[in-house]
Amino acid sequence: MADILKKIRETSFFKELSDDASSAVAARALARRFRPGDAVMRKGDPADSFFVVLDGHLKIVTTDAKGDEIIINKVGPGESVGEIALMDELPRSAGVVALDDVDALELTKDAFFDLLDDRLDVSLGILRGLSHRLRFSTKYIETAIDWSQKTAEGDYSFLEQTQPLSAAAASDDAKAAQLLSAFFSMARKVKEREDGLKQELERLTFEIDQERRKKEFDQITGTEFYAKLKEQAQELRRKRASG
Amino acid sequence: MTGKIVSIHSFRGGTGKSNAASNLAAQVALTGRRVGVVDTDIQSPGIHVLFGLDEQKMGKTLNDFLHGKAAIREVGYPVGQNTGGGEGRDKLAGKELYLFPSSIKGREISQILKDGVDFNRLNEGLQTAISEFNLDYLFIDTHPGLNEETLLSIATSDILIIILRPDNQDFQGTSVTVDIARSLDVPNLFLAVNKALPKHMNRPEFNKEIERLFNAAVISVMPLSFDMAENASQDLFSLRFPDHEWSKALKDIVPYILNAK
Repeated sequence: MADILKKIRETSFFKELSDDASSAVAARALARRFRPGDAVMRKGDPADSFFVVLDGHLKIVTTDAKGDEIIINKVGPGESVGEIALMDELPRSAGVVALDDVDALELTKDAFFDLLDDRLDVSLGILRGLSHRLRFSTKYIETAIDWSQKTAEGDYSFLEQTQPLSAAAASDDAKAAQLLSAFFSMARKVKEREDGLKQELERLTFEIDQERRKKEFDQITGTEFYAKLKEQAQELRRKRASG
Repeated sequence: MTGKIVSIHSFRGGTGKSNAASNLAAQVALTGRRVGVVDTDIQSPGIHVLFGLDEQKMGKTLNDFLHGKAAIREVGYPVGQNTGGGEGRDKLAGKELYLFPSSIKGREISQILKDGVDFNRLNEGLQTAISEFNLDYLFIDTHPGLNEETLLSIATSDILIIILRPDNQDFQGTSVTVDIARSLDVPNLFLAVNKALPKHMNRPEFNKEIERLFNAAVISVMPLSFDMAENASQDLFSLRFPDHEWSKALKDIVPYILNAK
């Protein structure tokens, strides 16, 4: 039981809950076990419960136009699926299938709302957790927007001022961090390519010494031979023009 | 008489001028036009090799004509009747292509250099070649640089194609050549880049840069090619390998010649 409480508090959804509030959640949750390939949720089903993964992994899947399966995401211990749908009451937008042996806690919609009714501390804890996620998401989005604008303007100074984020950071915001990390390396590659092109362009620029050009031209055209040649050429062209 | 004189020139040696001249002449001959090629590079003749003319078989030359020892009719060598082997050259069989070679004998070369080339005599030779062989186009492979024979060739040209490599030294010399050609009122002046590196290929800004420098149209960018080097002037490359990148770029030039006024 202590183990389950710990795992509940390790989830991002319930991380702000006190011991007492976590116990209240555990008391209303159902322990569920899935075998590899078991369907946990089906696309289009009504959203009537959500799951917290304790052990094992789930895949979130949908199908493409040809009916082939596409894996949208993978979910592991400490992560939950279906909690948002419980609140906005839309049907399941994707299916969820067990990838291996999965231990999970299921909280039905009724149990969840009973819990919210009964326990103000649980409600506040969940709100706090959601606010926390929202705040971090907003911050990441703002950073990504800032970087995008700078990249669009060709200002890559943030690449020097910012350290690349470790995609492996085991935080609640690992996915957002991963996004920023991917953005960071994209911007760096764009900059490298741009630098390369700039270099190429420089090498495509040629210079002519105009003074030397004029001097050499004058040397050739200043001779008696040239004056005569020009005259003969003019006469030749006149003749040809008149047929 | 409507035959046009097309001079192929480059400021420095090694630009691939003779290869460009011979292949262009051959490409124009393939379209059914009557074509002549004159080697006015009398100091270092070489275009005859590309047309498979054996040095022992070489009869009367341009030198003989300039010294009054032969008529121009005797100098013209019909390549279409003697393709001299070579998979590419064989495609010229039956085509009207005449080569007017320069002598490769040291004594004759030094003689003509000592005497100099008379404008009127050379010009008479070119005009006679056009009329007697009823040529549509007479190509002149010039000596690199801006010596007197080259100035004569430029002065008499209807079309001047300057071959240049993408490096500053070539550009400097080419700028003077362009100015001279304008001073001599050459009606059609074109630039063709040869031995271009991959970074120059299909780069409109590269062509624009050259056009900006010289105020003349860039009508072809031919790549530096190991396949060309491998061919070692043994055959007419664009006839032997018509689908090669170099051959395609060379063929870009042909319509500019055919459409020139």
